[in-house]
Amino acid sequence: MLLYITGQVTPDDSRQHFAHRFNLDHPTAKIWIRFNYSPKVLEDNERAKPLIMAGIDLYSAPEQKQLLQGGWERYLPLTNLITVSVDDPEGNRGACHRHDPEQLLFLAERDSSPGLTKGRMVAGIWSVTLSLHSIVTEQCSYHLTVWASEEET
Amino acid sequence: MYWLACELHTHTYHSDGRQTLSELAEGSAKLGFECIALTDHNTLSGIEDREKVEREWGVTIIPGMEWTTFHGHMLTLGLQEFVDWRTSEPHNIYKGISEVHQKAGLVGMAHPYRIGSPICTGCYWEYEIQNWDDIDYIEVWSGTFPSIKTDNLRAFSLWTDRLNEGCRIAATSGRDWHAQVATEEPVSVTYLGLRADKPNEMKQIAQDAVHALRHGSAVVTIGPLVTMEVESASSRFGIGDSVPAPGSDHNERFGGYWGHVKTVFSNRQGLWELPEQKFALKIIGNAGMVAERSVGAEDEVYRMNIPEGGLLWVRAELWGTVHGARALIAFTNAIYFNEGRGNE
Repeated sequence: MLLYITGQVTPDDSRQHFAHRFNLDHPTAKIWIRFNYSPKVLEDNERAKPLIMAGIDLYSAPEQKQLLQGGWERYLPLTNLITVSVDDPEGNRGACHRHDPEQLLFLAERDSSPGLTKGRMVAGIWSVTLSLHSIVTEQCSYHLTVWASEEET
Repeated sequence: MYWLACELHTHTYHSDGRQTLSELAEGSAKLGFECIALTDHNTLSGIEDREKVEREWGVTIIPGMEWTTFHGHMLTLGLQEFVDWRTSEPHNIYKGISEVHQKAGLVGMAHPYRIGSPICTGCYWEYEIQNWDDIDYIEVWSGTFPSIKTDNLRAFSLWTDRLNEGCRIAATSGRDWHAQVATEEPVSVTYLGLRADKPNEMKQIAQDAVHALRHGSAVVTIGPLVTMEVESASSRFGIGDSVPAPGSDHNERFGGYWGHVKTVFSNRQGLWELPEQKFALKIIGNAGMVAERSVGAEDEVYRMNIPEGGLLWVRAELWGTVHGARALIAFTNAIYFNEGRGNE
């Protein structure tokens, strides 16, 4: 196991990057990353409503505010979004900007998960960055696990 | 000049799209696009299949990325090297832009007025822009049937305001295309003006397309191709060009300029349709409406007078009825004038 992180974040943690570093002490064939967070959806519409109304108020044209706020439900459900990006000792290895709250990803020399780049699996300090685009639930817990495999297939 | 039909904002499985690059290119070819920009969120990994897919579907692919950050979405085009999107803060986007420019890439504001957090974090542009010359283009039309959407009207006004301030900045459309889903709504095209004929080699087409956008040689439409040249006393100028100020020795009888506006309704035949009607063809500039006339659905060139005096820029616009609504159908990027710029 190269990395095992569990954490809990709140709306105040939105718009932050958390970089988790690990040392790969010798070159390997493949690195696996398992990441999940929960909950994905803010189920409580009463809690979602003021957040949506505030977003419309902040970002929409003055003449549109009333119309959009009258139809605030069209923006339901609000969701948490945390994405993963990876850096190896030599540079960036891509990002997986997608909405799935559970992702099993890998990097290897000749193949990788979509979003990540294949390439040399060199020893040194790697990092997995979690980008907290939006946390709308009171609490959101996440698990990040990274491990190496000597077999590429 | 060759006008290359482009779709400049797309996504695949490499981010949150629901299509492979091959499926995207196939769908693009079917809609008459000759070139697409692959702008997956925060990754360049999807470009790996570029050459194979280009050969497969005959569609040129420009490498790009959509910086999907917490404070704005920024498109980059024409570079394959990574520039770190994660270091951007509201006050320092100029640093990332500078690095993209150093690597010969372009930057564009994506859908700058789409509602932001928590509905769509970063979708609304909140970055402080200290120098508008940093921004190569604004995606003024986003999505399908873009010209009637409020967010796009705001983006279009943002562009016009910058032109009125003397900025030289391009405008594009982008579908923000995530999946091969059929639509009844009009699909927009950004045509980029290649200086010479269309090259045979795909990478050269991509380079020429990026060069065209950098120059502002672009027109946007949901139907006919509308282009323009400006004729001065001594020469002709294309979209993105700058018309020199008349010299002190210029002929006093010079009655301004002539706009030669070309409408091509035979482009991408069968891939779009508009109801039979008379269209309004306008030349707009920093002083407002410069010229207007009624035109039919024909391939034709119209010569329209542009009075001199204080000109900073002009563009052509084609207006008509689309799906029952009065709408902007096509617009050119600006042709700039030095006469309105004083002694800078």
